[in-house]
Amino acid sequence: MSDTLPITKPLSLQDLLEGLGPASVPPSSGERMVHRLLQEQGKLSAVELFAKEHDLKSRNTCDVPDQARYYAKLLPATPVGPGQQYGFEVDLDRCSGCKACVTACHSLNGLDDTETWRDVGLLIGGTETLPVMQHVTAACHHCLEPACMTACPVNAYEKDTFTGIVQHLDDQCFGCQYCTLACPYNVPKYRAAKGIVRKCDMCSSRLKKGEAPACVQACPHEAIAIRIVDVSRVIENAEADHFLPAAPEPYITLPTTTYKTTRVFPRNMLPADYYSISPQHPHWPLIVMLVLTQLSVGAFAAGSLLEWALDPALAAAFRPIHATGALVLGLLALGASTLHLGRPLYAFRGILGFRHSWLSREIAAFGLFAGMAVPFAALCWGLPLLGASESAWVKLAVDSLPTLSLSVAGVGLVGVFCSVMIYVFTQRELWSLERTSIRFGLTTAILGVATIWLLLWLAVGFLGDEAWNRLAQNLTRPLAQGVIVATTLKLLYDISLLRHLATFRNSSLKRSALLVVGPLKGFSIGRLVLGVIGGIVIPAAYAAIPAHDPIQFTTTSAVFVGLMWAACLGGELLERYLFFSAVSNPRMPGGVRP
Amino acid sequence: MSLIPDNALTRPLLNLLHQREGRLTRELLQEPGGFGLGQLPESQVPEATTDMVCGFCSTGCGLKIHLKDGEAIGLSPTTSYPVNLGMACPKGWESLRVLDAPDRATTPLYRAEKNGRLEPVGWDAALRLFTGRFKQIQEKHGPHSVAFISTGQMPTEEMAILGAVAKFGMGLRHGDGNTRQCMATAVVAYKEAFGFDAPPYTYADFEESDALVFVGGNPCIAHPIMWERVMRNRRSPEIIVVDPRGTETTMYATQHLALRPKSDQTLFYGVARILIEHGWIDESFVVRSTAGFEEFARFVDDYGLARTASETGLEPAQIERFARTIHERARVSFWWTMGVNQSHQGVRTAESIINLALMTGNIGKPGTGANSITGQCNAMGSRLFSNTTNLLGGHDFKNAEHREKIAGIMGMDAAVIPTENSWSYHEIMEGILKEKIKGLWIVCTNTAHSWINQNLAREMLSRLDFLVVQDMYHSTETARMADLVLPAAGWGEKEGTFINSERRIGRVKKVRRAPGEALADFKIFQLVAKYWGCGEQFRRWSSPEAVFDILKECSRGTPCDFTGIPDYRWIEEQGGVQWPCQEGMTAPAQERRLFEDGRFHHADGRAKFLFEASRPMTELPNEAYPFLLLTGRGSASQWHTQTRTAKSPVLRKLYPEQPFVEINPADARALKIAPNAWVTVESRRGRMRAMALVTPAVRQGQVFIAMHYEGTNQLTDAVFDPYSKQPSYKACAVSVKPRAE
Repeated sequence: MSDTLPITKPLSLQDLLEGLGPASVPPSSGERMVHRLLQEQGKLSAVELFAKEHDLKSRNTCDVPDQARYYAKLLPATPVGPGQQYGFEVDLDRCSGCKACVTACHSLNGLDDTETWRDVGLLIGGTETLPVMQHVTAACHHCLEPACMTACPVNAYEKDTFTGIVQHLDDQCFGCQYCTLACPYNVPKYRAAKGIVRKCDMCSSRLKKGEAPACVQACPHEAIAIRIVDVSRVIENAEADHFLPAAPEPYITLPTTTYKTTRVFPRNMLPADYYSISPQHPHWPLIVMLVLTQLSVGAFAAGSLLEWALDPALAAAFRPIHATGALVLGLLALGASTLHLGRPLYAFRGILGFRHSWLSREIAAFGLFAGMAVPFAALCWGLPLLGASESAWVKLAVDSLPTLSLSVAGVGLVGVFCSVMIYVFTQRELWSLERTSIRFGLTTAILGVATIWLLLWLAVGFLGDEAWNRLAQNLTRPLAQGVIVATTLKLLYDISLLRHLATFRNSSLKRSALLVVGPLKGFSIGRLVLGVIGGIVIPAAYAAIPAHDPIQFTTTSAVFVGLMWAACLGGELLERYLFFSAVSNPRMPGGVRP
Repeated sequence: MSLIPDNALTRPLLNLLHQREGRLTRELLQEPGGFGLGQLPESQVPEATTDMVCGFCSTGCGLKIHLKDGEAIGLSPTTSYPVNLGMACPKGWESLRVLDAPDRATTPLYRAEKNGRLEPVGWDAALRLFTGRFKQIQEKHGPHSVAFISTGQMPTEEMAILGAVAKFGMGLRHGDGNTRQCMATAVVAYKEAFGFDAPPYTYADFEESDALVFVGGNPCIAHPIMWERVMRNRRSPEIIVVDPRGTETTMYATQHLALRPKSDQTLFYGVARILIEHGWIDESFVVRSTAGFEEFARFVDDYGLARTASETGLEPAQIERFARTIHERARVSFWWTMGVNQSHQGVRTAESIINLALMTGNIGKPGTGANSITGQCNAMGSRLFSNTTNLLGGHDFKNAEHREKIAGIMGMDAAVIPTENSWSYHEIMEGILKEKIKGLWIVCTNTAHSWINQNLAREMLSRLDFLVVQDMYHSTETARMADLVLPAAGWGEKEGTFINSERRIGRVKKVRRAPGEALADFKIFQLVAKYWGCGEQFRRWSSPEAVFDILKECSRGTPCDFTGIPDYRWIEEQGGVQWPCQEGMTAPAQERRLFEDGRFHHADGRAKFLFEASRPMTELPNEAYPFLLLTGRGSASQWHTQTRTAKSPVLRKLYPEQPFVEINPADARALKIAPNAWVTVESRRGRMRAMALVTPAVRQGQVFIAMHYEGTNQLTDAVFDPYSKQPSYKACAVSVKPRAE
């Protein structure tokens, strides 16, 4: 290839310009033109030159929007009567998949850059001679029993008594995102930048003025309409489940959208994202919060139960230590939970939904737990200082400490139950009552026992008198056995999820299992390794020491107990990570994606 | 809450507990927008509005731009515009958003060393480099060693001044446009059949047809707003879709002819034979308005039903039903798109469609026509005024009379006009390999992504001595290869006109400020002329509207005559104006079609039947590459190489980010490819990674990949129609293999 210049050194721009010889115009006149054109470029087409001069004046003079000529027939002709509400009606025969509705909703509602309140999915099926692809536009279904509203701990959702529109109160929301898990249709979307959730309100302010929602205005094929639906009809339809192929079953929330079609869908019709498996958001603060509250409650419970096994003096000596240890970790958990809130300053609103929201109930239960655990721990430290006093009150207080300890643990267990129910409410298979109870329950057991063990050894290490030594001699083996039993059960239970890999259908549990062995493989292996080391190998070493041999309290052995605890905790944190990210959420049919 | 009385004292407390209003709520509050817009978010209420046409596809939708301080803050489709009737596709809705991208080119960029970085330079330096380097190349290798590639995405006035400055000022001979990739076939077919590149239809024909035949297209996705017009058809039309693949459009088909790829020409010859056999011919039209029917009838005699069925893979009954439908339905319209144009025998295939319309008299009447649906927003402007294949206004470089006419209008010496035709796009690219082309100026297109057989295309570009890329974004695959990048203003940042698929001239306006030092392409061409030393020659080309007047004169007396348009303003008042619009037409109807008088543009006033024996595809599947790769549009939210559409966060959500390949379930099973698994698709020229979408919509032995993904053209085979020189993107042999990941 011939070159234009012999290059011996890197050329500067100046070299090149000089090498090229004089340009055909004196630079100054060229530069002047550049300057003039850049200035011209900065000017906009003068508005006064625009053809439709009336546009400038017509600011507030048009009452009826131009588009009304098309959408008038897509709005209800009569007002809503009793036992009725508004609902979207989608004519699938007219939805060709252009997705103009999504962008129009985004533009006309002034949503954030990536925010969309409407989505379009795709159903695929049929045969080679008659392939079928059906695009499905969907927004909020303004359900009769909105799961978002039931779940919301701060009452940030309201269902309009007249129109039935489910509206989100943006300023009331504190960003807990529970509704995003509760809605089977994946409708409320969290906006991290704003710290709140937002969702479709059927353009209620447009409807109020007789205007059509943005999507209805913008569908080139008039596939979306607002119609009046009979509440009783929605309920009947939900019983028969003719909502939409492959969509979550309507009985959960009673969605009011009507999908109508004259097409006969083939039986093999599946969403385009049916085989896509993508990990869900892990919600780290929730992972930490769940695991540590369960640890705390477990430690309280294990500690309380120990009371009966120990002689009263030792029990009294151990009590302040396990109560404080459990309390500190419990408070850490509650602190972590506020990190999950988009607007943590409004955390105080969390119990407003007590009557319907398991999240409110959880907040209340753990609030009470902490509220009881703090004075309890204080008493555990304080009362022995007054030990010499013979006051009847003090004695009564000291005597009631074991019972109090049990009550704290009991309230904590109620909290754990509420935690379970939060996830059970979402009706996801991986989060069923059985699965979630077993997982949370065994976490409580493993970490409770492991923590008591660790605290015991810390006490030996720091306080190190004969009594402590004897206590540890007696308790180490049973505690180690407890950890082994609980961990073994839990690991087996976790692994049993993999049996769904053999399921023929791509069921929701199979998807979870595929995630666990696929994209989440690293976490699964980590969980298993930590569980085995912390919950089986190290405890087994201690449990295997013959009953008559003394246990050596060396630094090394203490470090191993520490490792045991850390590995158990790490294993449970990873288990919870998998709990969140391997869940297969119900959703409307989606588009093509990996 | 009812426990607490609601009064002035308790209200702050109540509000804290249940806050119905506040900063976050206000963000979405709406108020009347005025201007017939209805409610809008408060922050988006405009002070004025103005109408212009969209800058993506050839549908040419009207968009109402919402203005504040003279600048666009939003848009909505224009309710009254005769094209889109108040609707737009996602691209249109997002067309302002794509202007705000961090990778907009804001200053000229220059690469001093072959492998160095692109560094900002000033306009003066950039233009001196431009002229200096190109002149140097011309001195050494001859004036024709520098060429340009134009586009169908710029206003007509800009492509005209580009073509004029390049050919009449800089003395270049070779220049072509990216319209070669989409419309060249239709151009040649129309010219040969009608005597002029004249798509005869108006969009009302979609609504007025009794039978619509769509060939090689998926208008639901590629032209959603044209599909809007089909959906408004109240005549219960037959919808016949000729496409190897099941698509959104075939879902609406009353007859889906899923024929073998590239057997469409044979099908139409076979159908013509059936029509002739049964005497289902409009004799009077054929006699009065056409030439060559007898020869055509003799020619198609070879295409008997058995042969047609076996070559197309269709059932004889399907073919007969198709023919019968054409006969029985009063108004039949034929619509073809890229499946026809991008073919090794595209021109003859397009003409085989035109023949069906001619022989049945389905032309020049409402709801009829042999209609090519164009691709780019201004492909039609480019076809007439890019000064590449044709001399301005559909004239002929080789015709001395034409040269005199155009030179006279421009006030230039006819000697500046080349007397030879330009090389077409692929000849220019091959010219680089042959060391004939040393300098290339690519304007508003993305060759390194879109040109067929991409690896070779990039090799060609890399061999240039000097590559100038003029674009809105410095990040396009082609700009990244450039020696000099000139930053251009985009749609919405400059003035001019577009011509849409139905020949409607519409306005584009400057409603946004271009970022940094980006300049309207028009201004860049003016500067090039100035620095080249031919500025004086283009003194009259002072503004887009001045150029519009020149072009109007060029059109005088031609079939595309629009001398009746007094100025830009009138175009808007009319709601866009279709050509022809001769002087004196003061109130043209809003929807007009051509050839209503049965007179065509050949000297004898007749349309010609053109035909040629069908040829097989060049690269058939074999053992090593057992699949035939089909390509096409992926979704309504993607546009071409996605230089713009990928800039909108919302559009990005509406299509699969990763490439996917549609494969038949039986093939997937045989290859042990699970749904959603990653596969390698490989041709003799390149390979790409894609996700398997297992669907019966593609036939066994075929796979489909959307054209928007960068890897797709690494696979395609550089085969061209011999007449239109248009690349055949839609058929090459590939293998598909599961990947271990």
